[in-house]
Amino acid sequence: MFGWLERNPFFFAVGVFLVIAFAGLIEIVPDFAQQSRPVAGAKPYDLLRLAGRQVYIKESCNACHSQLIRPFKIETDRYGMYSLNGEYAYDRPFLWGSKRTGPDLHRVGNYRTSDWHANHMWDPTSVVPGSIMPAYKHLFTNETDLETAYAEALTVKKVFNVPYDKDLDGDGKIDVPLGTFEEAKQRAFQDALKIAEETKRKDLVDMVKAGKIPEVVALIAYMNGLK
Amino acid sequence: MQNPAIEYDYTVARWFSYLAILFGILGMGIGVWIAFELAFPELNYVGGEYTLFSRLRPIHTNVVAYGFTLSGIWATWYYVGQRVLKVSLAESKFLQGVAKLHFWLYFVTALLAVISLLARYTTSKEYAQFEWPLDILVVIIWVLWGISIFGLIGIRREKTLYISMWYYIATFLGVAMLYLFNNMEVPTYLVTGMGDPLHSVSMYAGTNDAMVQWWFGHNAVAFVFTVPIIAMIYYYLPKESGQPVYSYKLSLLSFWGLMFVYLWAGGHHLIYSTVPDWMQTMGSIFSVILILPSWGSALNMLLTMKGEWHQLKENPLIKFMVLASTFYMLSTLEGPIQSIKSVNALAHFTDWIPGHVHDGTLGWVGFMIIAAIMHMAPRFFKREIYSKKLLEMQFWLQTTGIVLYFSSMWIAGITQGMMWRAVDQYGNLAYSFIDTVTVLHPYYTLRGIGGLFYFIGLFMWAYNFYKTMKASRELEKEPAFASPMAA
Amino acid sequence: MDIKLLQGVMYFGLIVFLTVVLYGYIFHLYRSEKRGERDYEKYGRMALDDELTSTPVEPIEEERKKESP
Repeated sequence: MFGWLERNPFFFAVGVFLVIAFAGLIEIVPDFAQQSRPVAGAKPYDLLRLAGRQVYIKESCNACHSQLIRPFKIETDRYGMYSLNGEYAYDRPFLWGSKRTGPDLHRVGNYRTSDWHANHMWDPTSVVPGSIMPAYKHLFTNETDLETAYAEALTVKKVFNVPYDKDLDGDGKIDVPLGTFEEAKQRAFQDALKIAEETKRKDLVDMVKAGKIPEVVALIAYMNGLK
Repeated sequence: MQNPAIEYDYTVARWFSYLAILFGILGMGIGVWIAFELAFPELNYVGGEYTLFSRLRPIHTNVVAYGFTLSGIWATWYYVGQRVLKVSLAESKFLQGVAKLHFWLYFVTALLAVISLLARYTTSKEYAQFEWPLDILVVIIWVLWGISIFGLIGIRREKTLYISMWYYIATFLGVAMLYLFNNMEVPTYLVTGMGDPLHSVSMYAGTNDAMVQWWFGHNAVAFVFTVPIIAMIYYYLPKESGQPVYSYKLSLLSFWGLMFVYLWAGGHHLIYSTVPDWMQTMGSIFSVILILPSWGSALNMLLTMKGEWHQLKENPLIKFMVLASTFYMLSTLEGPIQSIKSVNALAHFTDWIPGHVHDGTLGWVGFMIIAAIMHMAPRFFKREIYSKKLLEMQFWLQTTGIVLYFSSMWIAGITQGMMWRAVDQYGNLAYSFIDTVTVLHPYYTLRGIGGLFYFIGLFMWAYNFYKTMKASRELEKEPAFASPMAA
Repeated sequence: MDIKLLQGVMYFGLIVFLTVVLYGYIFHLYRSEKRGERDYEKYGRMALDDELTSTPVEPIEEERKKESP
């Protein structure tokens, strides 16, 4: 049997493939259904946060920041409650990261405010002396791409049944409304204006009022929602 | 065989060698740059938003893994493949065409990939950042390579496949499967008709996405940084030294051993995350078992040199390859150690991890590709290697660079890990996060210097290669074993 | 049936199977060489005698050779 395999490249290839595929199959597939179940209270991202999440991805923030708090006392002391499977149910893609050049951000919304973030993104060393994080000033002028964020939300709603426009906790109210692009956009602008005002930066407020959401505002909305 | 007019066709092998040098310099140049950015943050702003650390880091990893390494793999494939099958590409116009198409499509895709990453198009999954149109191009490139492998096998003269061929085939199949499954994504524009046409959303969510990603991430390392490099060393070390591989049987065994266990080790990236406990434990155990077959290959290589150790002194290419297998042993020992639960608790998220990756990639992958291309150069151009002295200098400079790199990252990683967990007498955290960043400054600087040494070595390599091509003494016939070099 | 259990059983089964195959292969390698059926070490020469003009260690069938130009 073995001598035959050595001389028949085709069956040899099939053999290699089966061995490597089978291992992956057993390792990954069975846990799929269970781990995608959201924890109670987990909600899909609203439009502005989803747009902010896209900014987070575009700027590869996950190259230096994790979003995964491990169950050790030293980690929960520093970052808050350890992370649970179901909290990530609406994360496509996941953003756990693999390196903490900067601190974990999974619950950053609990202990940082909008104006702290704005100052920090403008000049990190102004709020964290000694920080090696660079400033992200271009986020203060780039306009948020709400349309792509809406396209993503609508895609996950259609394809993966992510519960937008649904009553999740049974209180008779829709938890995360999406609706049409116009409706979603209007809500996003209301949220954006609130955050822009919280940052106490006039340029951001003016820009939102002029009909453009700066990327940093969306990013702050996303980070404020990380709890 | 009877026709003396047929010769091996090295055209595509040569092209890929040029690309390997080019991407090596580009990718590692960016690497050195971002290493210094961590030590001196002002460097982030040199090129506006385009030189921010977070923008450049994915470009560094992708250019090195998929630019430098893949070019190296394909340069050697289009050389070794013909030789161990004893058939020339020139014997099939079709396969020759496929090879050229393979090269050009790859080159274009690589350029588009760099541009798209600079323009912030990324899926954020490490080593799988490309957006969906690029993924489709990658699949086509891969299919072309498959046609080239199995086409060449179809017209071979040598009935049995040499061990290197096994490893190339495994690379082809392994990466094909991993890449396809990890890059399953839904282009949002095709579903909704609005937004950015290049944007896509992952098919998997949260923990599932993480599991698929690290199943991919770990095994992509296996099938890009390990398996094809073993294919290379099984050909180039015996050929350069004139010694047949120490035990062919051991090479067959270690091949199957590697195939059987490598896929299981993916779980060790998930330690202390939310995946089931048993999977974490198994991930650790299999990572430890992984040492055995991996070391089988490395020991086999070292034993091939048995009784011929004087060559190590005389031939810098042998130096490169022997040190490569030594670094292979080091990093395959280090990896399993890091995947032990208690060690991982300390090491995860710290600089020890990039340290580990780099002693494998710089020492094992980089050195093997450098040696392979320098071995091929006299055969490509029918000229001797331009300078042995320069090659020696490159070897020592780069070795020093690697040692500086991993020793500084070991210290940095362990220091940071210990500071994160340090508590005072009342059980409160002793350090704020920023304390654990500022303390790393000297190590980051040292790491940058180590990287710089390696980078300078690359220029010496490129210069030596160029001079070999243009200005070296011509050879009457292709050398059989040791590559001839001028002092 | 609990999917976890199924996973465990499949995992265990695969490991036993792979172990048997790997050890069976070791056995096969040494037995066929001892019996003189095959000589594996000669394949090591493939990397060394790799000119187009060198004789293959194990040439492929004769008819293929005639076809090639």
